[in-house]
Amino acid sequence: MAVKIHVTRPTKIELARLKKRLRLARRIQKIIKDRLSILVMEFLQTVRESAEVRERLLKEYDDAYKALSLSVGYHGYAQVEQALMVSSMAFSLHAATRNVAGVRLPTFQMEEGQETLSWLTPGGDSSLIEYASSTAQKCLASTVELAELQSALELLGDEINKVKRVNNALEYVVIPGLDATIKYLSMKFEERDREEVARLKYVKLLIEKREAYAY
Amino acid sequence: MPTDQGPDDVIARYLGGEISTMNAQLPKVRKTLSELLHEEHPRVPCLDGSEHSFKLDELKFLASILDDRERDELLLPMIIEVHSGRSEMLIRSRQGVEAKVFARVLDMPVAVEKTGVRIYRSQLGSVRRTLKTATQYVFTL
Repeated sequence: MAVKIHVTRPTKIELARLKKRLRLARRIQKIIKDRLSILVMEFLQTVRESAEVRERLLKEYDDAYKALSLSVGYHGYAQVEQALMVSSMAFSLHAATRNVAGVRLPTFQMEEGQETLSWLTPGGDSSLIEYASSTAQKCLASTVELAELQSALELLGDEINKVKRVNNALEYVVIPGLDATIKYLSMKFEERDREEVARLKYVKLLIEKREAYAY
Repeated sequence: MPTDQGPDDVIARYLGGEISTMNAQLPKVRKTLSELLHEEHPRVPCLDGSEHSFKLDELKFLASILDDRERDELLLPMIIEVHSGRSEMLIRSRQGVEAKVFARVLDMPVAVEKTGVRIYRSQLGSVRRTLKTATQYVFTL
């Protein structure tokens, strides 16, 4: 890739400034790489957890549907539907944020005691309906957990992309650009020095010639 | 609009912002485990004005492995220092309660130094899995 040399003033002060900036860019790149590795680690961990929770959730849904169909088979649609219509549970969820390496991730927490509340109808149903309701309740807790993990995955993925872009910009544009500019300026100053030496030699030669003619 | 700033200045400013973003999630104040356990929604304010919340399960887990005195000493969130170019990380600890927590989480003794507890990158996964909200990262050079 062609590297762009950007020189505002070809002076030694500018060269020193560029060298300082190059050091800074290299240090920042190190930190960015660290952050990237941490973010990737967190992302992979979230993927693993998400897969576990998803598997558990599928199993719980499976149990819940089985329990529901069992209760429907035993009591009939009418009674189960009636039980479902009158059943109610106050559900409250506390949403907050947590920070992971500069990324704000959501956290959802079911309010204390919500997990133990029952969805039972006031009339008091059969144990089959009770079991169906308790399995459905388990699904709810896992769904909340999965929602948190999924949103964390999306946000971490976005941030990883952003950090990768910054890292690539540093690695392939900024640092090579600074390197090339420093090299260009150094060569220019060396060339200037060589010219200066040649000029001095020429002047010395002229003076010597003039002195020789004078005698 | 023409400006004196070259592209390098813009990049330098951007990179400065990048560094501040990385450590913006640091807590403004840290609270003890005992304090957090008494709060309905345990959280601490961060430097960027946001809030960092703690999971109750994690706090309960920490409370279960520590005694009353240690609960008063353990400051949360625990800060994991990530040094660039090093394979190990440091958890700043004054009282050494952190060492007990990490030894329990990792299920093995940890290297305790004057400045804190030293853990390795390979151990970080286990720590973060158990203490997602009770630990935070800080990036240093």
